[in-house]
Amino acid sequence: MISRRVFTSLLGAAAMLPTVGFAADMPAPFDNAGDVKIALVRYLSTGDFFQAYLSGVEKQAEAIGVDLRVFDSRQDAALQADMVDQAIALGVDGIIIQHGLTESMQAAAQRAVDAGIKVVAFDVNVENDAIPQVEQSDRDLARLALEAAVEDNGTEWVAGYVYVPGIAPLDRRDETWVEVKAANPGINEVAMFGTLDNPIANSVANQARAVLSANPNITVMFAPYDEFAKGVKIAVDEAGMTDQVSIYSADVSTADIAAMREPGSAWKATAATNPAVVGEVSVRTLAMLLAGEDPGHNVIVPPTLITQSMLNELDISNMEELGAKLPAFAHADVAVPEWMPLPAR
Amino acid sequence: MQKSSTLLDLAIKYGFLALMAGLIIFFGITAEGFLSPFSAVFILQSVAITGILALGVTATLVVDGFDLSIGAVATSALMLSAYVMVVWEMSAFWAVALSLAMGAAVGAVNGMMIVKFKVPDLLATLGMMFLLLGAQRIPTEGRSVSTGMALPDGTIANGTFSDTFLMLGRYRIADLVPLSVVFLIAAAILIWAFLELTRHGRLMYAIGSNAQAASLAGTNVNRYKILAYMISGTMASLGGILLSARLGRGDVASGNNLLLDAVAAALIGFAVLGAGKPNAFGTAIGALFVGILLQGLTMLNAPYYTQDFIKGAVLVVALVFTFALSGRTGRAKA
Repeated sequence: MISRRVFTSLLGAAAMLPTVGFAADMPAPFDNAGDVKIALVRYLSTGDFFQAYLSGVEKQAEAIGVDLRVFDSRQDAALQADMVDQAIALGVDGIIIQHGLTESMQAAAQRAVDAGIKVVAFDVNVENDAIPQVEQSDRDLARLALEAAVEDNGTEWVAGYVYVPGIAPLDRRDETWVEVKAANPGINEVAMFGTLDNPIANSVANQARAVLSANPNITVMFAPYDEFAKGVKIAVDEAGMTDQVSIYSADVSTADIAAMREPGSAWKATAATNPAVVGEVSVRTLAMLLAGEDPGHNVIVPPTLITQSMLNELDISNMEELGAKLPAFAHADVAVPEWMPLPAR
Repeated sequence: MQKSSTLLDLAIKYGFLALMAGLIIFFGITAEGFLSPFSAVFILQSVAITGILALGVTATLVVDGFDLSIGAVATSALMLSAYVMVVWEMSAFWAVALSLAMGAAVGAVNGMMIVKFKVPDLLATLGMMFLLLGAQRIPTEGRSVSTGMALPDGTIANGTFSDTFLMLGRYRIADLVPLSVVFLIAAAILIWAFLELTRHGRLMYAIGSNAQAASLAGTNVNRYKILAYMISGTMASLGGILLSARLGRGDVASGNNLLLDAVAAALIGFAVLGAGKPNAFGTAIGALFVGILLQGLTMLNAPYYTQDFIKGAVLVVALVFTFALSGRTGRAKA
């Protein structure tokens, strides 16, 4: 932890230096970074996560000094594929594909590669060996949260589990839950529920209320998505079971931090990857490709465990402070060749 | 004729209530803890918000209209009330007052579009739905509103949800009955009394069955139609305020499920007591029916897709009830 902190502050200090100082040291084509054009082609954009992701992309692009164009298809798969073609026609040097459907993006990504453009994909499998996949590790997210649950509660507890099958990240988190249950026969899952009905927290709260009254002996709720956790917390509070139930989740936002820090909150820990960091890593991965380096096919951004006591001890009340006071959350040491300028913090 | 149809009449009139009683008995036996006062309160609380929205939509159904924007109005009120308290740092009173005013204003605009500019109701309210879905996200650039959030200009919002406001969604009378349930019951009684007992309500039904005749009889049809949409908008914003108080943050959400659930409750309401027309009592029972089903199924660990399936099945049965059976005797519209 200490070495990581020293390392990050060194990096931070280095990034404070004028970018011009770096320009000379950066490999081609970044010796003329202003002439390098990259495009971010998005499928999902509304919501806190995607907003933060975009800000990470923007900051890293600014740090390197490249010209960033943002294309936003707003969940229109066909439009997203057209936007890749637009970017090709625009003559960009690199493209980041952010989410999307394999079926619609695979051919478009191949066209970009054929046109000599470097491509990076985040959280969408475009089935192309020339395209590195940037991912947040959902299995690690679930593993960290469940390790915290086991540490706090031992290996014997009655669990409620929130899950909606068919959503890729939730399915990956579910794999870890199944493994952990198999490894710990003392964990007794008495209820599985979940819904993605909007507003999710409200719908899940209604379900969780029913589950808690049917199973008043539940002590641990595993809700591996923060909207789920929010809903479960509402239900636990309403049922007056705050002292008895502990909630473990994944993902984090400013509002989640407030909910976790409420006095006596049942929400004990969450595991999260900083979406802004994922955005930065996406740009760095693309930059490495453009400079002729190999970032590897799977670029995985590791998650961080955030516990209630951590938040209270460090007095963290929003995402900015979380990044500032928990260095592991503010920076991932992924895709960082020596020449890479990092965003100032 | 009178004698042979008695059984059918009974079925039409009380079939739905009997079905509901059957459900309660079934869940009472199969789901442990279902028949407790707590459980009853949970059910009421889980349907409070959709129920209030459904009562609003009932008012527009009565004048033969339809309001597709209620879900978006509710989530706009959710965002607005959060924004007023967290960003403008104003009191709970203003959060509630401004949200209700917003809902009434949206309803008035909907009504004006429909009666003055002759835009068909579905299209006018559909347009309003999209407009609001976008508008509610502009001030925060698509993010949820919560204390400590960074605003587009880089400053940090320091306001908090006031305790008085949170009470609207969280306080429980005698530690049991949440305030939102009280609002639902009060709203149901008010809308019922307005529609069934006042001259205004009867005129609205008259407009719904034949607007031209009502107009010829001297009713100001346009004014009543606008009033119906204002009731709908205000109810929807009340639902949004309660949602905001329950969540304790201004969540970015489409509200489409709120719309669908509310419409389902209002349509199921057609079948209750064989009314064959929109009515406030039926709507409240319809919302309760869906709530009982979902609560019971969740207690039995039924996954969400079976719940959607059963919700749909209930709606289909209720509609068949209304349009096929009640149509023989009642005044169901085609």
